[in-house]
Amino acid sequence: MSDRPPPTSEIPWSGIVVFSVIGGIVLIGILSAAIAGATPKGILTNLGFYVSIAIVFAILALGFNLQWGYTGLFNAGIAGFYLIGAYVAAFAITPPAPPIIVGGVVVFPGHLGGFSLPLPVGMVLAMLAAGATAAVVAVPALRLRADYLAIATLAFAVILQIATTNLQSITGGSIGITGIPPPIQYEGTDAQFLNAMTLVGVGALILLASILVLQFMAESPWGRVLRAIREDEEATMALGKNTFNYKLQAFAIGGALMGLAGALYGVTLGYLSPASSFAPSVTFSVWVMVIVGGSGNHRGAIVGAFLIYGMEWISVQVRDQAVLGLAANYVLMRDVFLGLGVNALVALGLIFVLGRLRPGLAWAHPLALCRRSAVVRGVVLTAFAVYGVGWAFILVEQFAPSAVGDTIFYTRLMLIGVLLILLIVYRPEGILRERKRVLR
Amino acid sequence: MDARPLLTVSEVEKAFGGIHAVDRCSLAVLPKTITGLIGPNGAGKSTLFNIIAGLYRPDGGEIRFNGTRIDGLPPYEIVDLGLTKTWQIPHELRNLTVLENVVLAAKHNSGEHLLNLFARPRQVKADEKQWRARAREILKLTQLDGLANEHARALSGGQKKLLELSRALMSDPTLVLLDEPVAGVNPALAGSLMDLIENLRRGGRTFFLIEHDMNVVMNRCDWVIVMHQGRRIAEGPPESVRANATVIESYLGG
Ligand SMILES: Nc1ncnc2c1ncn2[C@@H]1O[C@H](COP(=O)(O)OP(=O)(O)OP(=O)(O)O)[C@@H](O)[C@H]1O
Ligand SMILES: [Mg+2]
Repeated sequence: MSDRPPPTSEIPWSGIVVFSVIGGIVLIGILSAAIAGATPKGILTNLGFYVSIAIVFAILALGFNLQWGYTGLFNAGIAGFYLIGAYVAAFAITPPAPPIIVGGVVVFPGHLGGFSLPLPVGMVLAMLAAGATAAVVAVPALRLRADYLAIATLAFAVILQIATTNLQSITGGSIGITGIPPPIQYEGTDAQFLNAMTLVGVGALILLASILVLQFMAESPWGRVLRAIREDEEATMALGKNTFNYKLQAFAIGGALMGLAGALYGVTLGYLSPASSFAPSVTFSVWVMVIVGGSGNHRGAIVGAFLIYGMEWISVQVRDQAVLGLAANYVLMRDVFLGLGVNALVALGLIFVLGRLRPGLAWAHPLALCRRSAVVRGVVLTAFAVYGVGWAFILVEQFAPSAVGDTIFYTRLMLIGVLLILLIVYRPEGILRERKRVLR
Repeated sequence: MDARPLLTVSEVEKAFGGIHAVDRCSLAVLPKTITGLIGPNGAGKSTLFNIIAGLYRPDGGEIRFNGTRIDGLPPYEIVDLGLTKTWQIPHELRNLTVLENVVLAAKHNSGEHLLNLFARPRQVKADEKQWRARAREILKLTQLDGLANEHARALSGGQKKLLELSRALMSDPTLVLLDEPVAGVNPALAGSLMDLIENLRRGGRTFFLIEHDMNVVMNRCDWVIVMHQGRRIAEGPPESVRANATVIESYLGG
């Protein structure tokens, strides 16, 4: 009996947190749209947008994770490589867009290119352009101390954004590029819905391919050298590695991924404008995603993207859609949440009691179930979350009935900040921590 | 002993601001010897090792290894030529496992080149397998095999020293520069490590080591070089160095 493994009573909190928070984001998104009176297709279109943009951020986060999480290179110009990918792809795949000048006044500035190339070609070009730019920016900075890379890339991104806004004849200036063709052109009333669903599919495919290729590259002897450089570059050099080459490769490949994300972003939105989409705040968001999700592993970067962008997204959803509907259906909403929550908790409680009373049903013990199945974990937390939301309704009704939407919207950055601080204090390695590579 | 030195350092200089850490230092290491480098704290021993390994660029002078001029070469090329050094303060790669630390030191692992991953996956697998097996052998020698899959950061100070030595051996070097290899290692293991080093020397390797432990220096070294204030002040077989008046004054004490 002595060689029995010790009982693992450890609850997989990280998985539970991830499942329930992303589930909560989706749920709140659906409810917000439903409250605003959206049709099921409208709700799905809306959700599709969340998933598509979260995928774009996930690819950005994967690129940054390769650079920083694996290699220790701090890129402060993510937005710049993202911008290059977006514009290069847009130049390649849009139809020709000559400027429109009426009576000597530029009505529409037009932009470079308009080569009507197929989407995959545009994406490859975006990756090549962003990857090559990353290499060019990095060559001088990588030879210097680590901090210079951050400074150089930050400057690069800011200059690029300003140049893009001002080089009207090339980029369309602050108007940007419009009419970026979607992967498939649909007609009719369902076009928007079908387009959203197509984009989710295309995005998921690209994300999956990126993960597979990255996993293959980074979890290899090559990736091991990158992690060694992150730990101690001098020591890695003394072990016979040309660390400069590795840093350059990791930085360029990370940059190429950011370019790919940019291409996907343009296609998802259908237009580009430099003012907000490529501001430094994009860079900061991606940092937060990788730090929160957990660096040094691909799952962490993706989870971080879905969580952090999800917070951003629901804050808008709640403000724009839910609040209007809430006022009308407040009592109903409150009762639905409380009712659902109470029932779910009672059901779980029964299972718990049964698991306790009948030794034969030991498998039904909630902890055992949670350990075994991610779905059960999700259900348990969702039940608690739903019940909690019901309570939130009661509290808001009591104290500040008119402030729901705005409060949530404007405190989102604060919430993200608080989350980040808590995480850095209690779990500096992120929600999903880098695992130990046990070699056989 | 072979007359042609494996390593020659001539007139090498290195200053940090006003401190002449290494001051026109010249010395030679003969092949298949265990050569000791001793001297007071701050004499410039570690700095000299870092210069030889290519981690610091010397301000002047010339270094030849096996006939090739190596001063100014980047560290990885020097390792490629067959010269590896260990650190006085262990530079373990903290969040890699012990085994990963050692495998990483292999010199020709095809999987470390990005293109090979895609072009020759089978060779990459075979190489990696072979180097892992080799790393495990080395970890047995240094008695770290039980900790192979622990994070390097979890090792004790002495174990980190052993990891340093393991990594150095993994690159299959002709000349190993060991910066205080057994400082902080328990006496029994230190003894067996020095036995291991003597064995490897008999197998054709050359060791150049810094050590403050006079037992190690006197019993294990064939030749001892004494540094003081960045210069070589004496050298010779251990007994003659121990009797040297200048050395006694500057280092050994009355
Ligand atoms: N990176 C550096 N920057 C500035 N000064 C340095 C640096 N490295 C070494 N020094 C100085 O150079 C001198 C020689 O240092 P070194 O580490 O080579 O001594 P050492 O002989 O190895 O001593 P110990 O036996 O204590 O290890 C010391 O005065 C030290 O302060
Ligand atoms: Mg020293």
